[in-house]
Amino acid sequence: MIDQDRSTRRKAVALECGCLALSLFCVIYPFLVIWPFRAQQPGQLAAALMILRFGPAVTLISAGAAVVAVVLYWRAQPRRWRRVLPVAATVFTCVLAWLARVNIYEMMFHPDTRPTFRAAAQTKLDNNEKVIAVKIGDAARAYPIRSVSYHHVINDLLDKVALVATY
Amino acid sequence: MAGLRLTFHLAGINNQNFLMRDEETGTYWQQISGKAISGPLRGSQLTPVHSDELTFGAWRGEEPQGTVLEDVKKYVPEYAHEDWDVSMQRARTVIDFHEHGLHARDLMLGIQAFGTSRAYLYDQVIREKLVKDRVGAEPVMLVVGPDGQSVRAFRDRIPGVSGAPDFYRQADGMWLDAATGSEWNFRGCAVSGKAKGTCLEPVEILKDYWFDWRNYNPATTIYGRK
Repeated sequence: MIDQDRSTRRKAVALECGCLALSLFCVIYPFLVIWPFRAQQPGQLAAALMILRFGPAVTLISAGAAVVAVVLYWRAQPRRWRRVLPVAATVFTCVLAWLARVNIYEMMFHPDTRPTFRAAAQTKLDNNEKVIAVKIGDAARAYPIRSVSYHHVINDLLDKVALVATY
Repeated sequence: MAGLRLTFHLAGINNQNFLMRDEETGTYWQQISGKAISGPLRGSQLTPVHSDELTFGAWRGEEPQGTVLEDVKKYVPEYAHEDWDVSMQRARTVIDFHEHGLHARDLMLGIQAFGTSRAYLYDQVIREKLVKDRVGAEPVMLVVGPDGQSVRAFRDRIPGVSGAPDFYRQADGMWLDAATGSEWNFRGCAVSGKAKGTCLEPVEILKDYWFDWRNYNPATTIYGRK
């Protein structure tokens, strides 16, 4: 029975370490590659984007597996203080699953998800302020660069044409 | 795109040109090119919409019935200053191309058309006010608006008129052409003379830093430089 518990604990720890390492990789690798103050290499960027796409699912499965592992460990480990580290590792793996869903770029530059517009005649902008000007049919729209350079992406509909203004 | 209306989000950066991700398919798109670089729609291309970078005064003069994107009040303190692109010239870049005597953050006006790409130093165009050039084999001209800041480019051909039009600029920011004796405004439309009512064909300009333009246009040539 003791040998069986020891074997269970080893397998559970191995599984948990694997889950933690995989989740860490899924979160840290894209973060390090897509770092604004370093050059991005095409191969690294392709891998990072692939991980960003599948990272949320992978880390969720990983967190689930870590929870199973810690339950098995808990049952096979009678000493309470020895349960602390595996539990902490599981919690951290769950945190990583959440982090894999966080868009840090939209945390830094908040999106303008519901853009609103005002008639040019009622707009109090300086005449020298720069705008991106678009005209579709008879509909003309100006996007002040001061705000678009912060939000970066404005999803819009102009004269029934869906467009995205970017800067 | 593919029958879907896509909603884009800021999603990363690639050598200081940002990436967008659409929430419908999870595809990643490069901002400068509109190309899908990763995900289910990889290889697809967004359709460019013609745009001009103008001063608000110039735009409102042309489009008094137009509408303007409103600020999001709670983020206004975080917005850039009006001369954001100029102040950014001091910011460091992660890539650089030591070519043509240009600096990484020199502001360029880039044209991708007629099978080639060509760039113009923004300050030089502002100084010259009317630039006559060729992009590939096509005669093109860049004109500075009456505000002294806005720039547009046009094919240097008057529709229906054979031969080179030979434009020259007047002091009030309008231009004349020797071929028809017409007067043209900053929109590229003749407002008097034989060609009245005719408009020149616009050519898309992208205002960009040298390092970014060069990164995506490795074969670019530069106006006035070898």
